[in-house]
Order: sequence, then structure tokens, then C-alpha cells
Amino acid sequence: MDVVLQAIAVVFLWQNLAALAGGSIYGVIIGVLPGLGPSAGMALALPLVIKWDPVTALIFMGSLYKCSNYGGSLTAILVNTPGDASNAATILDGHPMCQQGKGGVALGLSATAAMVGGTLGMICLIFAAPFLAEFALRFGPSEYFLTALLALSIIAAVVQGATIKGLIAAGLGLLLSTVGFDVITGHLRYTAGWAPIEDGVPLIQALVGLFAVTQALVLAESATSISRLAKLFGGFWEGVRTYFHYPVSIVRSSLIGLFIGVLPAVGQSSAGLLAWADAKRSSKHPETFGEGNPEGVVASETATNACMPGDLVCTIALGIPGSVGAAIFLGVMIIFGVIPGPLVFTEKAGLIYSLFFALVLTSFVIFVIGMTVGRRLAAMTLLPNDIIVPLILVVSLLGSFAIRNEMSDVFISLAFGALGYVMLKGGFTPIPLLLGLVLGELVETNYHRALMISGGSYTIFTASIISKILIVLTVLSLVGPYLGPFWKNLTQGEK
Amino acid sequence: MLEKFKLTEVWLKIALLFVFSAFYVAALSFPEQARQFPQLLAVASLAMTAIALVMDFTRKRAVRAEISGVDDTELRVLDADDLRARKKRYYRAWAIILFSTIIGFLGGFLFSALCLFAGFALVFGSKAKLPRNLVAGAGMTIVVYLVFGVMMGVPLLNGVLW
Repeated sequence: MDVVLQAIAVVFLWQNLAALAGGSIYGVIIGVLPGLGPSAGMALALPLVIKWDPVTALIFMGSLYKCSNYGGSLTAILVNTPGDASNAATILDGHPMCQQGKGGVALGLSATAAMVGGTLGMICLIFAAPFLAEFALRFGPSEYFLTALLALSIIAAVVQGATIKGLIAAGLGLLLSTVGFDVITGHLRYTAGWAPIEDGVPLIQALVGLFAVTQALVLAESATSISRLAKLFGGFWEGVRTYFHYPVSIVRSSLIGLFIGVLPAVGQSSAGLLAWADAKRSSKHPETFGEGNPEGVVASETATNACMPGDLVCTIALGIPGSVGAAIFLGVMIIFGVIPGPLVFTEKAGLIYSLFFALVLTSFVIFVIGMTVGRRLAAMTLLPNDIIVPLILVVSLLGSFAIRNEMSDVFISLAFGALGYVMLKGGFTPIPLLLGLVLGELVETNYHRALMISGGSYTIFTASIISKILIVLTVLSLVGPYLGPFWKNLTQGEK
Repeated sequence: MLEKFKLTEVWLKIALLFVFSAFYVAALSFPEQARQFPQLLAVASLAMTAIALVMDFTRKRAVRAEISGVDDTELRVLDADDLRARKKRYYRAWAIILFSTIIGFLGGFLFSALCLFAGFALVFGSKAKLPRNLVAGAGMTIVVYLVFGVMMGVPLLNGVLW
């Protein structure tokens, strides 16, 4: 207990509070730029903090990591462009709310979700970290493979309401993830000799294209502003009040986020989408999801924010990062002499608990940022298209360019922009494609690993209880949407 | 039957059939372990696309998929003239984007940013607000240069010409 109290006192030192505030503001700015997510933000900030005290530096990086997610939610809501793959679920209901002039309400929901989800997640993390880490160790390659498949099937089935189209998009995303060096054999696949894609289709550039460029094209086509109505309804505080109308969704989404966060490499993108799908399924009015239902924003944002602490469990307790951002954070920890592993909770207890407490405080800082700039940001949706379209394009393509300083990355984003636009016009949503691209490597690697362990036998995918449960859930997620109408027809027929 | 060929959704699925087939065929030359997963995916995706296409043609009425995911409120009330105007704006936007990217490739990303701001102000903005929009665009380009070029060290002026 003394260690915890000392750790809290350390956070309140002026330099650590300044680092927390600086990291939060920098994180929001980085998150707002589509393409520059937490990983790029931390990489860019590393030269700045390298000579700082480890506690101060890790508090700065932790706040940056957390706030960049919130920044990504802002763009997801306001301009239909997630700052990072983890914010993909937010666009489903957040942006339609914006189009209805309720941008301020959506921003209030998002900031409250960051505060509540983040705090609930951190509290759970502090008490349950050792148990969760132990549970994560029970997952082998076959369980990871099946978890990723479950995530893809749920998203494919629920996001659009047309399972087969979702599965086709997910299949395309998974296939595109096989471009570049094969992780098992090292063989070069589908590159046609073009060097920029030898390491795989770059995820951030693809994300920028699929969402930012596509959205810019859709806006350029129509002569109106993002908000179809010329004024804003409701505000930040209405969003805060609305958030607490959904207590069941808050608890369920927090648990989903925490659970997904604990699983290495499954990541925040899956957490938000799974929670959104869960909220839609359990709602009495599922047809309103995707049309600007506030509960959709509550579920996705709460899960994404609760996921981050779970993500940190594996990173800190096991040294296994749960996402790309967590992998960079792991590197930062090692640079500052904090070697992740079970012993870190005893050897560096003060530093770890200072970091945890700083992250709880960051959740409140996010709320303050949302409260002060929310309304002004919502007004951005009223800007005419001749201003907002080039702004979206410059900021997002700059994010794409700045990662490797290559104009070829801008061309990749434009190609994905064209693909995203055609998909939208063809009635497909690009979200399953993005998730396929994100989870592709995880799926393929664990597929091969599982078969190597079993000597080529596919029975390994049904060997454990966890695997069996995952298979049942996957099948249910695929046939579930058809069972409801079928049952309804059956019972109505009997009458 | 023929009216279904007017749908973007149908053409997209036909294109996807070729894409998935190409993925399968291109993988034939890979070592066994490297081709196993992409071929499995390609076959599954091909099958799903074929099923979806068959379903499209067996449905009694054609469904306008163009409205999905974008926001159908506008498209439902658009007449032929409006649709033509939208297409025109779409092609103009692509022209500006491609021109700007080529300029950026030659002279550096900063010129690309300047061209995007200027291009959209000239082509899409009102003539009365043109000077204001151009000044705002130039100001934004300077901000981009100061924040990313100077503070973060991103080489915004590196093009193939210099």
C-alpha cells in the first residue's frame, strides 16, 4: 500500500504533471492527424524525452499513447476518418450523428467514454493484472487464430447487415495482408518487384486511403458541408448525460475491451468493433445502429478505452505487446531500463504504479480537453467543402508521407482511396477489409504455427475447450443474423 | 437481367472474381507453405463472391447499392442533372489530387499541399471568396511547413527534381 501511495505522490510532482499535460495535448494533436497514430507519435517524441527521468518520460509517453486514441475518435466522428485502426468502430454511429448536426453530443459521448472506460479499465488492471496475464498464457496459436477469425466473422456479419459482403471484404483484406515477405518461409509474394510493399501493404497508408481519401472524394462530390444540416444540435454536456443512459452497454463494453486487450496482438481495433456488434445485437432497435445511435458510440468508445489498460497487461507483465502502439511503448520501456516481465511488479513497483495512476489522471484530462474544445471542433463540420476537403487530404496524406518520407506512400493511399470509394458505391463497407489487413499476419502466423505443432493435423483447432467455445461463437456469429428472421417466419407461420 | 449490369455492386463483384482468381494463380509459383494460406483465402473469397453474384441475379428486383454506406438522403432526391454535376465534381477532385501528387513527387510534399489548397479553392470555391481561400491555403501550407518541416524534421521539400 505504501508503494501505491508513494507512486501517487510522484505523479503529483510538477515535472510529472507537466509531462502528463504535454503528452496529452501532443497525443490529441497526433491522434487528430489521420495516419499519425500512437506509434508514429511516440517514435517522433522519443528524441525529446530520451534524456528525461524514466518516470517522467514514461508518463509523457503513456499520456501520449492514451490521448492519441481520443484524437483519433475526434476525426472519426467529425470527418469520418479514424485517426488509427482502433477508432474504426467510432465512425459507424459517430459520423452519422455529426451529419445530423449532433457532433457536439458525439464528442461528449466520446470524452466521457474515454474517462469512464479508461478509468474502469485501469482499476481492473491494477487489481487483476496478474490473473489476466495468467489467462492470456493459456492461449496458444490455434486459440489466437480462432480469436482473430471470430473477430472477423462478427464484424463481417454485423457491421453492414450483409454477412456475405462483409466476408468478401474481410477476405480481400486478409489476402492483401499476404503481400510482401511471408513470415514463415521468407518468400516474397505478390509485390511485382515493387520495393515499397515488400514489407507488406503499409497499414497506415491503407487506412488513410480507405477512410480519409474516400471521405474527401465523397465530400467533394456533394456541394454541402459534413453536417447535412446548417446548424448544430445539442452539445458536449448533452453527450455526457446521454452516456450514462446506457449503463449495461458501459459495463459490457468495458469487459469486452479489457478481455480483448489482454489477448496479445488482437488489439483495440477488434475491441471497438466487437463491442459495437455486441451492443447492436443486444439492442431492442438494432436497425438504428449505423444511423447515428448514441449507444453505438458509447459501446465502441468505452471498449477501445478499456482495451488500452488490458493491452498494457501483456506488454508490462509478459513483454508481449497487444498492438503496434503497445509494441512501441514496450520499446520505450526497455530504453528506460524497465524490463517487462512478471518481476516488474516487484522490482519497479513504484514506477509501474506511477504510470498506472498517471493513466487514470489522463482519462480525466481527456474529458477536460473534450469539454473545452469539443464545441469548437464540432463547428468544423459546418465548414464548406472547398475548405474541408483539401484540409482532410493534406493532413491525412501528410500522415501517410511522414512515416517513411516517401511519395510512393501517398500513391498507395490514393490507390486505397479509389478502392474505398468503389467499395462504398458498390455497397461494401471498408471496415472488414481494414480489420482483415490488421489481423492478417496474426491469422496466418498462428495458422502455420498451430499446424507445425500438430504435425499438419487440423484437429489442433478443436483440441482445447477455449478453441471449441471460439468455434461455436464464430458459427453463431455467421448464422445468427439469419436465425432471427427465420425464427420469426416460423412462429408467424404457425400462428 | 440487363438492368442489373448497370449496378456498381455487380461490376465490383465481377472485378473481385478476377482479383481473387489472380491471387490464386499468382500463388502457384510460391513454395508450398507460402502459397497454402493465400490460396485457401482466394478460393473461399472466390466462392463467396460467386454466391453473392448468383444471389444478385436471382433476386426479383434490382437493389441500388450505390446508396449504401454513403448517405442515401441526397441520392434519393437527385435528378439526372444533379447526378451529372456530382460526377463532374468527382472527376475534377481526382484531377486536382493527381496533379498535386505529381507536383509533390517532382518538387516535394509541400508543393503538393499548396496545389491541393489552391486547386480546390479555384475549382470548387466561389469566385467572390477566392482571394480569402487562397490566402488561407497559403497560410495552412506555411503552418504545415513550420510544424512538420521545421519542428519534426519531415523532408517536405525533397522531390526528384532536387
